[in-house]
Amino acid sequence: MTTEAPIKATSAPTPATTPTKRVLRKFFANPVAIGGLVVILIFVLTALITGICALFGIYFPYDPNATNLAIKLNPPSAAHWLGTDNLGRDVFSRLLNGSYISLSVGFVAMAVSLLLGVVIGAVSGYYGGWIDNILMRIVDALLCFPSFFLILTAVALLGPDIRIIILVIGLLSWTGTARLVRAEFLTLRETEYVRAARALGQRTWPIIFRHILPNAFAPIFVTAVVGIPDAILIEAGLSFINLGVQPPQATWGNIITDGRSYLLDAWWLIVFPGLAIFLAALSFYLVGDALRAATTTRQQSK
Amino acid sequence: MLNFILRRLAISSVLIFIISIISFLMIILAPGGPNPWGELNPKITPQVKEMFRKKFHLDRPIHEQYFLNMRDLFTGRLKSIKDERPVISRILERLPATLTLNLYAISISLIFGLLWGVWAARHAGTTADMLSSMGAFALIALPGFWVAYLILIGLVNFAGVPVLGTQSYGIEFPSFANLWLDRLWHVVLPGTILALGGIAVQSRYIRATVLEAMNEDYIRTARAKGLPEETVFYKHALRNAVRPLITGIGSLLPALIGGSLIIETIFAYPGMGRLGYEAVLERDYPTLVALNFVVAALILLGNLIADVLYAVVDPRVRLE
Amino acid sequence: MIKFFVYGLPALFLALIVASFLNVVLLTTTKKNEFSIGMLGEPSTLNPIKAADSAAGQVTGSIFNGLLKYDENIEITTDLAESYVLTQTTTVFFENENTALTALLRLEASRSRWPGWQLSSVRLEGSALLIKLKQPGIDASQEIVGMFDDKVPSQVVRVETKEPPGVALEKIRASIGGGKIVRVWVEGANAFEVTVLGAEEDAKTKIAGFFPKELEAKITIFETLPFLAEPEVLFRLRQNVLWHDGEPFTSRDSAFTFRALMDESVASPRKPDFDTILFVETPSPFEFRVVYRRPYSPALSSWMMSILPAHLLEGKPQEWWVENFDRKPIGTGPFKFAEWKTNEFVRLDRNPIYFNGPGPWLDGIVYRILGDQLALRLAFETHQVDFWGVDPWAVSGFAKDKRFELFSMPGNSYSYIGWNLRRPPFDDERVRIALAHAINIPEMVKYILYGHGTQSIGVFTPQMWFFNPDVKPFMYDKDKARSLLAEAGWVPGPDGILVKDGKRFSFKLITNNGNEIRRDIATLVQDNLRQIGIEVKIEMYEWAVFLRNFINKGEFDAMVLGWALGPDYDQYQIWHSSQANPEQLNVVSYKNPKVDRLLEQIRQEYQRTKIISMAGEMQETIYRQQPYLFLYVPESTSVVWKDSFRIRRPVDGGWVDTPIEMTKAGWSYYSDWFYRPEFASKLPPLKEPSTP
Repeated sequence: MTTEAPIKATSAPTPATTPTKRVLRKFFANPVAIGGLVVILIFVLTALITGICALFGIYFPYDPNATNLAIKLNPPSAAHWLGTDNLGRDVFSRLLNGSYISLSVGFVAMAVSLLLGVVIGAVSGYYGGWIDNILMRIVDALLCFPSFFLILTAVALLGPDIRIIILVIGLLSWTGTARLVRAEFLTLRETEYVRAARALGQRTWPIIFRHILPNAFAPIFVTAVVGIPDAILIEAGLSFINLGVQPPQATWGNIITDGRSYLLDAWWLIVFPGLAIFLAALSFYLVGDALRAATTTRQQSK
Repeated sequence: MLNFILRRLAISSVLIFIISIISFLMIILAPGGPNPWGELNPKITPQVKEMFRKKFHLDRPIHEQYFLNMRDLFTGRLKSIKDERPVISRILERLPATLTLNLYAISISLIFGLLWGVWAARHAGTTADMLSSMGAFALIALPGFWVAYLILIGLVNFAGVPVLGTQSYGIEFPSFANLWLDRLWHVVLPGTILALGGIAVQSRYIRATVLEAMNEDYIRTARAKGLPEETVFYKHALRNAVRPLITGIGSLLPALIGGSLIIETIFAYPGMGRLGYEAVLERDYPTLVALNFVVAALILLGNLIADVLYAVVDPRVRLE
Repeated sequence: MIKFFVYGLPALFLALIVASFLNVVLLTTTKKNEFSIGMLGEPSTLNPIKAADSAAGQVTGSIFNGLLKYDENIEITTDLAESYVLTQTTTVFFENENTALTALLRLEASRSRWPGWQLSSVRLEGSALLIKLKQPGIDASQEIVGMFDDKVPSQVVRVETKEPPGVALEKIRASIGGGKIVRVWVEGANAFEVTVLGAEEDAKTKIAGFFPKELEAKITIFETLPFLAEPEVLFRLRQNVLWHDGEPFTSRDSAFTFRALMDESVASPRKPDFDTILFVETPSPFEFRVVYRRPYSPALSSWMMSILPAHLLEGKPQEWWVENFDRKPIGTGPFKFAEWKTNEFVRLDRNPIYFNGPGPWLDGIVYRILGDQLALRLAFETHQVDFWGVDPWAVSGFAKDKRFELFSMPGNSYSYIGWNLRRPPFDDERVRIALAHAINIPEMVKYILYGHGTQSIGVFTPQMWFFNPDVKPFMYDKDKARSLLAEAGWVPGPDGILVKDGKRFSFKLITNNGNEIRRDIATLVQDNLRQIGIEVKIEMYEWAVFLRNFINKGEFDAMVLGWALGPDYDQYQIWHSSQANPEQLNVVSYKNPKVDRLLEQIRQEYQRTKIISMAGEMQETIYRQQPYLFLYVPESTSVVWKDSFRIRRPVDGGWVDTPIEMTKAGWSYYSDWFYRPEFASKLPPLKEPSTP
């Protein structure tokens, strides 16, 4: 659910060289932020390590794709901390293996949507007028698209490839960022020294890069951080409709989907992957919120 | 204002048609085709398939199919491939259920979001507020289908209550009150899960707007005048909560029809989301054409209404 | 005021929510006198001749009756018909009346052989001999006709033209001479078959010559027949049957149903079952006679087709049907249509004027429409539906729980891997047999079906009376597999994968997503084959894509699928070599002339013992050649809450009261006679002591 940033009139922002030290100090004074950051680091590191090891064929504690029908649907035990699924595969190993996929989908998809959103939002907000109008109507139009077909067609035509899925998620999510960036640009371009720079004859792109972007940087960064869990949740949802990454490759989402039929008999197939998604998303949101709090000064919030 | 509205309507109409063309292309170029006979069926001969293709214009070139479908849509003759019934009927019969579910979800998002946001604004800065913030994010971070499954496990194993569909079966209801409460229950379950994220987001939004308002000069003036804190808070600051509420209502129109197909699937709830999803799986082109058109129109309309309401409520906003 | 909005409204809502929960907790104990059935998927229509999906079949089964039905042992018995008699008229043509007379005398002289042939009477008609037999079939007729000389064969000429059949027929009569036309069968608006006396080559050209060139009439000689063998069925119908609206059921309804089935504007998917009928007639309101063009034994079971009410539908266009009948049908069955809430349920009420006794005892049946197995199970455990088709892994859990009762029987479906016989290496039989030895099917049954199933030994399933239990299955034997492959030229390559002529043994196994069991099968197969050096890549597609892009076009290496079949020994469409084109069902392109012949012959055979032996031979031959890797027949288990229903049904003039009993046709076969013990007081008293 994207919330629209209302267009607000602000007074002159502090100059582009906001001391990052101030922000960082504020950020780390917040215990919630630290907690969230720690959790994120744990997830990212685990994902990276597991991912790299997977490239070399090293898996721990078990091979996530090794089927062992004698121990199918076993509840959590000493040997299998999170139990086994219906083919006897160790759930914990699959979670680890899947974390790499789920997190990288989150990061890359967010990057794609960020790029698109910033560029379009910047152009729209800076130039205004009919360009803005058209771009915003395109944004509206995109929201009207049966996004489901986009996914279905892309996935079916080009194969259920992870790159397609990332692209498609990115293409669906940039509208929120674009709106936000546009709002920022709309206000920032009216500031005194931007007007001064224009009066002095400075060209568009240097103005954007040197004056506007740095001030808009903070909210954009926050959007980026918050965009990651959004993408992770979308991927999980896609897996639920069988349009995500295909078996036997595990992702958090498709462990839940595959385990759906065993809901009443093997709760561990649903609870743990969902918990992973939840914790990862929560920590990103908390860090994002802390960042937003740290980068907004009292003046700016007026 | 009137100019703005008229211009927007004109642009939107053009947009809707472009959207309908593009989405039609996507639907029809997607691989696979309609197959209303279910599994591989020894009884269906190629002749039967041929008759079927003719009936639904599937043997014509793509642009002809588009025009034929659009013509049928506007003359009300569009028939679904799945059961040959008018598409309008299929959409309309799902409308009450979808409306109930979404109205409920939006209502409790607004109502409980308001409560929570106000409470958080009043207690801003305390540990309780910080915990409640975390709680809000927790709600947003919850994957909807995960929560749904957890709740289902709990309810079915420990309470044995009906959880699916729009009503309970095999039960004699002693009175109308019992019947309506039963219907309500079947909306409460999926609706609340749908609204979890919404409640949290609304509460954050309201908290932020109220806090922002609390810093305004006129509030300080009111305090200086000696008005009790309560009056200051409720009569003056809370007025600003109106804006996020309007945003909430503005998004009502498209949300009424969209709905979440995942929740609807899990709870076997007959909503529009599922209609669209099933139509995709079955490649029911006529239904898809109609649905896309209706949804697009509603979204554009909803955005227009929201923008107008913004301008009405906040004189600082300039409409271009 | 604002305070009310902020605090009052949430409190109000909370109170309502809690109230609704309490309401539902307290109420789930009062039951209705109904039977609630969960269905996967929604019926497309409730018009039985237009529907082909299983959901529609389930619902219409309670609303309508056919002339015949299956009994509890899956044998054909009567339903709307009181009795039926099968006979056949074999017609032999001679050059002239004299030769015909000679033949007749010869036949009369052999009266002693008549009982053996089941011959009941003989008649002379012009230069033709009409022989009436008490049993349909080819063999007896062939023997009889073999005795005669100077027979004149006939040709069946198929004509496809744009002209209406009446006009076209006139032209044909003119061109050949009306006396030579033996019979005419109109297939549709533009096609018909004329049976013409004589086996002249130029019959075709003669007919063709009479059509103007522009009309592009397509003329083919369909077949040449030494004699005409026309089986017929005479049904005597019950006289006490009423439609749900009170009108009496008569033979007019069956005749109308037949015409509707053949009507192209109805586009019935069941039309091919009735294609061999020459004509039907109604000698009296309770007699219905069907004459076939040639012996076709599966035709008898086709009369389980639901009968439609002529008094409502005759003469009405399709739009009328769709609007007034298809979604609120009227039948003769134990339950009548009450309500259909799309995507939620179909409700039927009991039919108080049902012809088969004072029942049914239930007030109604509700078919709940749910999307997947999980939803069905959730509904079952919360008493929203009354039974559940148990997934294999959950069987043991329910078996241990005393609150439930389980019913199991072998299903009428089997799972298989279809090899694309057009593509190497699957065109090599040794390779296919090696593959059969390489898959550990018992383990598959143990782990995917949790032991609830048996290895499949061919195209028929164990419940069928024509099933051949003596086919020896291929056993799991990795070494045998390897040696067979080696024989076929496949040897281990550098990376452990088998190679032949430089090509690695690697293929794509496809199936549809959304089906966990098929996905599990594919995974196991991949693993098994990896152990003998074959690389399998699994790809899963959405069902619509799967069918259209791969199956219907024959574009695949191997696929995992299953067949759910009726109790039909006629598998022509799946195995005959003529059915291997795109969009047809012989998807793997299996071509075996011996099996082709068997498939054709079994269709013409009416004698039970002969059918069993032909079906057995067919099953054995196909299994041995492994066009499919026949995997398993799953056991189907249903779970019911204990004592939720009992049966009270008529037996030998009295009543018998029993708990639910298992039959060959399933545990719910007697559902017409189900009752809920809580409502036992509403039943008529037993005249005899009840048996527990």
